[in-house]
Amino acid sequence: MSWINILIPGILLGGYYALLASGLSFLFGVMRIINLAHGSLAVLAAYAIWIMADRHEINPFIGVLILLPFMAMLGWALHRLIFERSLKGGALIPILSTFGLAMLIDNLLFQNFGADTRSLAPYVDSLAYDSWELPGNVYVGQLSVIVFVTALLVLGGLHLLLAHTHLGRRIRAAAQDSDAAQLVGIDARRTYAIASAIALMLVALAGLSLALRTTFDPYAGPLQLIFAFEAVVIGGAGSLWGTLLGGVILGVAQSVGAHVHPQGFLIAGHLVFLIILIARLYVLDRLAVGLRRLRGGSQ
Amino acid sequence: MEKILTPSSPEIEEQGVSTTPHTENNPGRSRRDFISAAGAVGLTLAVPGSVWAQAAAKNTLKVGFISPRTGALASFGETDPHVLSLARKALASGLTVGGKQYAVQIIDRDSQSDPSRAAQLAKSLINEDKVDMMLAISTPEVVNPVSDACEAAGVPCMSSVMPWEAWYFGRGAKPGAPSPFKWSFHFSFGVGNFARTYISQWALIQTNRKVGVLYPNDADGNAIRANLAPLLAKAGFTIVDPGPYETGTTDYSAQIAKFKAEKCEIFNTFPIPPDFATFWRQAAQQGYTKMVKIAQIAKTGLFPSTVEALGGLGFNLASGAYWHKDYPYKSSLTGLSGGQLANSYEVAAGKQWTQQLGATMALLDAGFAALKASGDAKNKAAVAKAMSTLKASTMVGTIDFAKGPVGNVATAPIIGTQWVKAKPGSKHKFDYVVTDNADDKNVPVSAKLIPYS
Repeated sequence: MSWINILIPGILLGGYYALLASGLSFLFGVMRIINLAHGSLAVLAAYAIWIMADRHEINPFIGVLILLPFMAMLGWALHRLIFERSLKGGALIPILSTFGLAMLIDNLLFQNFGADTRSLAPYVDSLAYDSWELPGNVYVGQLSVIVFVTALLVLGGLHLLLAHTHLGRRIRAAAQDSDAAQLVGIDARRTYAIASAIALMLVALAGLSLALRTTFDPYAGPLQLIFAFEAVVIGGAGSLWGTLLGGVILGVAQSVGAHVHPQGFLIAGHLVFLIILIARLYVLDRLAVGLRRLRGGSQ
Repeated sequence: MEKILTPSSPEIEEQGVSTTPHTENNPGRSRRDFISAAGAVGLTLAVPGSVWAQAAAKNTLKVGFISPRTGALASFGETDPHVLSLARKALASGLTVGGKQYAVQIIDRDSQSDPSRAAQLAKSLINEDKVDMMLAISTPEVVNPVSDACEAAGVPCMSSVMPWEAWYFGRGAKPGAPSPFKWSFHFSFGVGNFARTYISQWALIQTNRKVGVLYPNDADGNAIRANLAPLLAKAGFTIVDPGPYETGTTDYSAQIAKFKAEKCEIFNTFPIPPDFATFWRQAAQQGYTKMVKIAQIAKTGLFPSTVEALGGLGFNLASGAYWHKDYPYKSSLTGLSGGQLANSYEVAAGKQWTQQLGATMALLDAGFAALKASGDAKNKAAVAKAMSTLKASTMVGTIDFAKGPVGNVATAPIIGTQWVKAKPGSKHKFDYVVTDNADDKNVPVSAKLIPYS
């Protein structure tokens, strides 16, 4: 088994994890909220796109574009109704309230859509399983490549937004110190609401890639959360490029693990996650501080 | 009358709230007031019901029914409300046992796909509702905890739809020793049924007899690896097993590479549905599916929605069914034939029939047959004794506990089936056809097995 055959699926898988995780990472970076409803919201988005595809024959890629403004509005509403209020209660309350939100979404989806397993793959012809054959008997899934490129574009776009626009500066200021930002005339409340809206648009993309790649049902959300969460933590909470790096590290570790032993897939991923988590406590903390200074704090 | 006491009625829920002990130190005055007020309202509403229930207890048979209606296993329980409504209709005028007429109340509960919730529900049905018999269905996560609770409390329990080996040995019975169970009984398919059907079904198409197997590292997967794979090997198939994988794996390149290298023309797997969708799409990406002549899937692909979710890759997947609407048997409880049961569901729900309809009906058939055979339906020991030798005709065929492979167990068949593209003009995307009947010759074969690719 050549290394190419292990690395390519691993790296592409990393792009998928990064796309799943980008909304989670962004929200944490800006507001320090660990959104446990992330997976359930992604499944909610998947259902919305599925309805458009199944009942109105709208291609899922167009469906997601239609959905984006609605997800943005949902993000705004969630911020006003849940994130903002729960943040006032300390670090634990947002976790509890988003956990409650996840259960609410799961069960509402079940009430509306029943238990049936769904997927968006049937609505994109054979894209979900088409592949390019590279020399050396290496197959690359077209969907995986699209997802990876999307992850790159999304994270790159967000980076540009944060680094070079007025809105980005406001978000960064509010993220670092909302009181100080208020003092210099930034409406932190509004900025946070915009950030929530952006995070929920990212969730829509996560939902699309999830639903194209595998199947979903009303209770599929929490399962999706774990890899996203691991990617965020490996890459450094709140850092966007870190999330991509975290996803790729996780994907490659799983890919290598699976080639050592079929059960190694999940174990290798969790192991890398734990090693990095522990290492960060002792070693990487100092390193990260240094890096952040160099980068000029792109979060 | 049974409607008044249906399990989901609010008074019972509120009664539950009012009896929950409050251990918080500082719950707030107003909230406590609210809870006790709600409880009081609940109690006043509930009292007439329970007084009535006590007076009528002697003439009313209570049957607990636990299945997964929400949560990860919800697709199993989706059709249960329909089957229960048919059963209630059939029992509206009561049940005659030993010359005595009883009113029947079926109390159905949702395990929420959670084993500890299932155990808790079983205990409350036993202790608070004082059920005369328990029925439990679908997957070890529901059936085992309910069976254990009934065994401990001395309540007769009948269950179905999980491999009997996992029910019998999984709950501590020892091979060769007499059955340790007194109160719990189970009828379902086992590894032997799968082996018989697979060996027969795989002979229908010319292949190189090399079988790539993808079995997960869970209770089902390990039982299948240990027990089914050797039987298949003995029948002349070469088993290519890359080893157990963990449920939730998102990349299967390693396994697919192995199946391709070994040129496995038969593929067999027991995964959860999302894992199979991920695997099968990757297998298609890597060009493995074009090599496969028979793709035999189990545990996933039981219900139309899981196959529809695969799109074009779902056509011609082979499967094994624990019930099919073409079964020639009738429900002894409702008198319905397989076709009638399937049609009644399609009309009522507006969805395609599923094999779970027949399985749930068969459990109700067997349970009420045991009550009738007991001679005294209020005597739990008599009901359990009737179950131990029960021979009943059900929706899935004749269930015979006297013959069972081990004590307390009867087997039910698995028949070979295939998901094929529906004929033009059909309401549904897939047809589910019977391709092999080695495990029950009475079931008519309706189609020839088509190679996957």
